[in-house]
Amino acid sequence: MTSDASRAATTAAPNPAQDAAPPAPRARRSLGGLLRRPETGSLIGLAAVFAFFSFFGGADFLSAGGFASWLNVASELGIIALPVGLLMIAGQLDLSIGTILPASSMTVAIVSGRFGAPIVVGILASLALGLAVGYLNGALVVRTKVPSFVVTLATLFAVAGFTLGLSVILTGSTSVALTAPEPAKGLIGDYVGGKFQTSIFWWIGAVVVVEFVLHRSRYGNWILALGGDPVSARNAGIPVDRLTIALFMASGLCAAFVGMEQAILFNSAQVSAGQSFIFNSIIAVVVGGVLLTGGYGTVAGIVFGTMTFAIVNQGIFYTGFDANWASAIIGALLLAAVLMNNTFRNMAMSVAARPKA
Amino acid sequence: MPVPLLKLTNVNKSFGPIDVLHGISLEIFAGETLCLLGDNGAGKSTLIKILSGVHKPTTGAVEMDGAPLAFDSPRDAAERGIATVHQFGGTFPLMSIGRSFFVGAEPTRRVGPLRVFDRKTANETAVRAVRKLGITRIDDGDRLVGGLSGGERQALAIARAVHFGAKVLILDEPTAALGVKEAAHVLRIVLQARQSGIAVVFITHNVVHALTVGDHFAVLIRGAKAADFRKGEKSREEITDLMAGGEHMAELEAEIEGFNAAAGQAPEAVR
Amino acid sequence: MKLGKTIMAAALAASALAIGAGADFAQAKGAKIFVIGGKADDPFWSKVKKGADEAGLVAKANGGSVTWLGPANYDNLGPDAAKLIRTALSQHPDAIVGPDWVPAAEDDAFKAVVAAHVPLIVYNAGGMDAAKRLGAMNYVGSDEYVAGVGGGEYLGAHGVKHAICVNTLPGTSNIEARCKGIADGLAKSGGKTTELPLPSSNFGNPTAVAQAVKAALIKDKSVDALVAIGAGDADALATAIPQAGLADKVKLASFDMDEAGLARIKAGKQFFAIDQQPYLQGFLAVSLLNGYVDYGVDLPTRPVLTGPGIVDASNVDATLAGAKAGAR
Repeated sequence: MTSDASRAATTAAPNPAQDAAPPAPRARRSLGGLLRRPETGSLIGLAAVFAFFSFFGGADFLSAGGFASWLNVASELGIIALPVGLLMIAGQLDLSIGTILPASSMTVAIVSGRFGAPIVVGILASLALGLAVGYLNGALVVRTKVPSFVVTLATLFAVAGFTLGLSVILTGSTSVALTAPEPAKGLIGDYVGGKFQTSIFWWIGAVVVVEFVLHRSRYGNWILALGGDPVSARNAGIPVDRLTIALFMASGLCAAFVGMEQAILFNSAQVSAGQSFIFNSIIAVVVGGVLLTGGYGTVAGIVFGTMTFAIVNQGIFYTGFDANWASAIIGALLLAAVLMNNTFRNMAMSVAARPKA
Repeated sequence: MPVPLLKLTNVNKSFGPIDVLHGISLEIFAGETLCLLGDNGAGKSTLIKILSGVHKPTTGAVEMDGAPLAFDSPRDAAERGIATVHQFGGTFPLMSIGRSFFVGAEPTRRVGPLRVFDRKTANETAVRAVRKLGITRIDDGDRLVGGLSGGERQALAIARAVHFGAKVLILDEPTAALGVKEAAHVLRIVLQARQSGIAVVFITHNVVHALTVGDHFAVLIRGAKAADFRKGEKSREEITDLMAGGEHMAELEAEIEGFNAAAGQAPEAVR
Repeated sequence: MKLGKTIMAAALAASALAIGAGADFAQAKGAKIFVIGGKADDPFWSKVKKGADEAGLVAKANGGSVTWLGPANYDNLGPDAAKLIRTALSQHPDAIVGPDWVPAAEDDAFKAVVAAHVPLIVYNAGGMDAAKRLGAMNYVGSDEYVAGVGGGEYLGAHGVKHAICVNTLPGTSNIEARCKGIADGLAKSGGKTTELPLPSSNFGNPTAVAQAVKAALIKDKSVDALVAIGAGDADALATAIPQAGLADKVKLASFDMDEAGLARIKAGKQFFAIDQQPYLQGFLAVSLLNGYVDYGVDLPTRPVLTGPGIVDASNVDATLAGAKAGAR
């Protein structure tokens, strides 16, 4: 069991060497050990995509600037994809992130940019907004039993309406400038070395926290159980309602964080931003091997999926390809990744259920 | 006569204008298997739901250890030692054996200020509990439940109930989706559980399986108890005819069993 | 300058006549003009409305009126606009101004206006083509292509040789026209323009736009200007240039402008913005009709283009003042 224990300690980076160690009778199991992890599929996908763009993108893609290109995009998407992944594992969707993001951008820009309140107040107001919308989503899903797709679609539009309406009333404009003072700018929305966004470090922090929650704490077990079978989870004594609300609040908070970070980074907030995060976060999570219907997923997979999506999305601009085809490549990648994930998931099951001797 | 572990007296259940159960009285004793027999729609599932706290009876009394009782929720029932295992056993196919075993009651250990899920303990405990029931093929708690056969999942679910101190084990058609051999395994486990002093409520419409494990039988027809008898009081044919509402089922039943035996195995459980 | 004088004259006339309006009741009945436009709380249309309202002071002074009709929302724009046109026509107007957003839905209503011998000016959308087709007096508005050409020429005049037009909405015809205009305008001085279409998976995400543009700048070192198709994209492009280490070399231009863009122009971090000057669309359309109805004057210039107005370091202060007043 020692190799199993150490494997658990390195979920983020599966190490084949550890699996190769056990003696002969376990050899078959150690192969199963690697194949049993559906995120192996997303890791292979990530490696393939990276190799592809390294080949066609050349030295520029492999330079620090090239890494920054996709890491910057991956970091913001990743901060949102993590809680969206947790929600999907728990069997829920959150579309409202698409408008929580610009609502949060506008909040910090209006509070601190237009009305000149201290930046801390603007930051807290925008994060509070995300938590509030998340709470509303969660409470509505729990109370009404309406599918979260519909509930969050409704809040998506409602938040968009409030953001536009209030922005025009308060500022007469759909975009507001914001100049964040130090240290807020340097900590939240700036470039390290002129290239790497500070959001990369926030992303790493979020990965550590979510990895702990999903794979090391009992709450992770609750989330998996909730997505696997909500009725049994409730009967097993899991506070299903509170857990659901907490997960929606987490995704609201993370979307609000990215919106606020972008406003500080770009010194401006737009009412129309953020919509692409809805689909992109779902793509990243699904490419990362999370089951769309809930009940299964890993943080390592979500991180790989996010990186894969960001590389494909940005890598094309380092190749000589006509950028008109970028969407087609993203579509093909998504399909390939999901098929591969399914293959690996099935392999994981079939290895476990080998015929009786 | 010992005090029954669970006792239902004249229990009725109706959903609006529809009467689903009428006048059910049952006694369930520790270390005994009660087989609930009945065709589809006879009211078996409603009765299980009353026993497991999902529904409350419209009228009638439920007693546990001689004291009157009303469950507020399935959780309430579970805390009093009533465990229900459904047809497909493990309901979390994509969770590991160790994790699903401890859902809602995860063992944790302290690491600094954090409480960490103790995976090693969870896996070892789960594997040991299942192996105790004779399922030696399971040796790794990290395996996904979905990779187990239908019988193994039943065994895992029963092991879980036993581990958490179930006094009453309700098995809802545990053998219905299983092949002949797998079903035999599960029946053996049921006998094992009964032997350890647990009261087993075994729901089935397979008379052969019922006769193998049952001490006490109740037949439901259209929501009412049509017969209540102990082992050896009725023949297999009589019971089959009773379940079908008095029609002669023996021939058809035998024919089906014949097909089943010839095929060697029924379709695998859904995974 | 001529324009400035017109505005001043109008303002003077308005204030002077407003005082005497009550006393001069017997004067000839002024023009009753109906203006169909967007929602009044839409930031773009609020500027158009401000122009129409201020031109309306003259109409009012002459005993006339200007009435703004806008839809409650943009969910059903074509049919709603057609209804508004017919609403205006039913109130015996002296003249009507309207945008031809959705010709299929609106043209019948516009034809009814012309058939009733009510002077009509098409503005903001539709172009001179719509005005001719409908028999309208004139078209007042901008033309995306012409605006692009203006921007391209301005880039060429300031030494730009290779511009990238960053298209975050590929396949949208008015945006394609903007980029094509830039290319044709810059070509006049021998410069080259590359269009960079970004997939929809980047839309509304400034980070993704910035990183894609940075890659394009690194990839092709000959690029010395970036053109944003909108004010929001300009924020992203502004960060892409220093990330590529080209702050000294690459100039930034944008269609439309906002607070952050004007601040950049003032700080020297953006070269210029192309403005379609919505205030003028409302102001000129109403003024032309007012003059025609009251005095029979008719401007021979067709169409009347309100853009491109170039906002750069030389006029950014005046523009900021205009923005504060809600006219820009």
